[in-house]
Amino acid sequence: MRILKLSALLLVMAALFVMAGCIDNNSTQTSSEGGSETQSEAPEVEEGEEVVNIGYSGPLSGPAAYYGERTLNGLTLAVEEINNNGGFEIDGQTYKYNLVSLDDKYLPNETAANAKRLLQENDTPIIFSPHSGGIKAMQVFNEQENFLIGAYTSEPAVTEAGNKLTVRIPPSYDGYLDPFTNYAMENHGKKMAALPTASQYGKDWTEALVPYWEEQGGEVVYNSSIDFSKDTDFFTLVTNALKENPDVLFIGGPSEPTAKVAKQARELGFEGGFIVMDQAKLDEMKSVTGSFEQLNGSIGVTPLTYSDYPGTDAFIEKYNEKYGEDPGSEAGYHYVAMNVFMEAMKAAGSVDDPEAIRAHMQDGLDALPEEKQVYTVDEIGENGGFSTALRLAAVENGEIVTIDVEE
Amino acid sequence: MDILTQQLFNGLTIGSVYSLVALGLTLVYGILHIPNFAHGALYMLGAYVTLTMMLLWGIHYWIAMAVSVLVVGLLGVLMDRLVFHPLRHAPPIHDKIAAIGMLLFLEAFAQLIWGADYRTMETPYGQVIDIFGMTATTQRVLINIGAIAVMILLYLFLKKTYTGSTIIAMAQNREGAQLVGINTNRVAMLTFMISGGLAAIAASLSAPINLVFPGMGHLVILKAFVIIILGGMGSVPGAILGGYILGFTESLGATYISNDYKDIIAFLLLVVILSIKPKGLFSREGF
Repeated sequence: MRILKLSALLLVMAALFVMAGCIDNNSTQTSSEGGSETQSEAPEVEEGEEVVNIGYSGPLSGPAAYYGERTLNGLTLAVEEINNNGGFEIDGQTYKYNLVSLDDKYLPNETAANAKRLLQENDTPIIFSPHSGGIKAMQVFNEQENFLIGAYTSEPAVTEAGNKLTVRIPPSYDGYLDPFTNYAMENHGKKMAALPTASQYGKDWTEALVPYWEEQGGEVVYNSSIDFSKDTDFFTLVTNALKENPDVLFIGGPSEPTAKVAKQARELGFEGGFIVMDQAKLDEMKSVTGSFEQLNGSIGVTPLTYSDYPGTDAFIEKYNEKYGEDPGSEAGYHYVAMNVFMEAMKAAGSVDDPEAIRAHMQDGLDALPEEKQVYTVDEIGENGGFSTALRLAAVENGEIVTIDVEE
Repeated sequence: MDILTQQLFNGLTIGSVYSLVALGLTLVYGILHIPNFAHGALYMLGAYVTLTMMLLWGIHYWIAMAVSVLVVGLLGVLMDRLVFHPLRHAPPIHDKIAAIGMLLFLEAFAQLIWGADYRTMETPYGQVIDIFGMTATTQRVLINIGAIAVMILLYLFLKKTYTGSTIIAMAQNREGAQLVGINTNRVAMLTFMISGGLAAIAASLSAPINLVFPGMGHLVILKAFVIIILGGMGSVPGAILGGYILGFTESLGATYISNDYKDIIAFLLLVVILSIKPKGLFSREGF
């Protein structure tokens, strides 16, 4: 009797897990589509057409879910557009894309497991991931298992490791150190307090910026990270950071909590400037602070909506039509990357040979039509990093001012 | 000196939020004798309901909060009826599994309805004010006053009213309470109602100083568990005191020792208190 009960329980548990799996899949589908039609279904294929699966593993639930969704939206938009235009052709064979997205909850180990699953079940030549931890986890085995990583992170270490099958999509944050430091020192002063996010990315950013700041004659009066997934209130931390009257606050992380930190610093009477890590976007921060006034004196990366690359306006319009909001740079970069990968596949004459695709990335960049250039990427470096001309934005008198950086 | 008062105030604010969440948790523990893991999800839903009221119908903050207390309280009752009540004869582990299941379900549910984005709750109380040389916003003062008012009301309710005493009676001895004619089902539902309401109040008060998002329950729930262990499982004064102890340790620890170690300090304190009083500060069963 007992055994019967036990086995019944196990059966129910198994059924629950299966159901949980279903729920999981559904939520990734709906989130990727903003609730309209289902996404992971194969595209409409006419006779003679073949489907190429593209993998994605990112945070689609948990605190970083919003970020994950926006990266996936960029890919979805690109894939749908390519498919609706009849796919692409290599040697007379027409191909269409099918995007398979899995949730990794921002955890590197889950990304690795997802990547294995994508390879086994869907045979994906390219897997995108929008966080450095997951990318590094995949780099452990991507050369053996032979797939390309579409790495959306500004972490320079991802490409410095010399992985042959990694393409880093956004510019590395190395390039920001000098202009950020110069701007903040010229406009505000030499005393900086650092309040970065507690992620690996935030710590690496801080470790790069702090020595550079001191090299330029600056002083770091406070340095401690904020864990946005654990702290309910930032007042304590911000109070401590402001104790030494810094001229500049170095903040960063997801846009919205970062903006909250900035707002609380203003409430506590801080009047200096902010250096904003590249993960946070000034326009998204504005939605929390209410106006740019509170962010006066900030220096950060240019929000996509303030950029003027040839394809930017068209992209913003398309994105708005589909998702009902303005896109951020993560959506823009993913859109560009997906299109570049397609051009590279055409140039390589193969959809399933990652090495050949990687070797033809430069051709892909050159072939990218102007109207798709949400960002203009000039070249791909030896190590696999896209190089985009840096454009920065500062907030002055309640308005965004873009600043060009000479190389 | 200046920084000390400021940090004491910060500790008081955060402690108030922790206490309110821990109170709801400890009440349900007294009745069910299981930790209700889904309490964090109720907290999150409380914030979302208030926010939705305010944005969708432009209802005033306080009225929206009252509606939220009612909605989340009823949700707590529903949770008891649909999940915990049918499990009352099952081994305790089933309740725990069910609670975790509810947590996952409610979080996914919130993400489905409201989306994963961070939202801000704007209240009419954003002004910065200066009290005795320290900086605060009206909202922060409200958190402190609101929390203390709720605690006093709860205390009076439990100690001075007949209905309140039935809750205490049931927490002390379930069979005994049944024998003297207390309707235990009704009391269990009432407790869930209060617990959900407390979560909604805590969330609505604290949401304006942070953000509203599906994962926001995690910010407080782990700490609330620490608090009720520290204060004694099921003890109301324990939850209040524990909440403030944790709040002050965090803010003062971060200031005078190190911010990076503030969680370690809080947990070290837990270890020390538990080695002296293994059952928590107020170890008496019930209240």
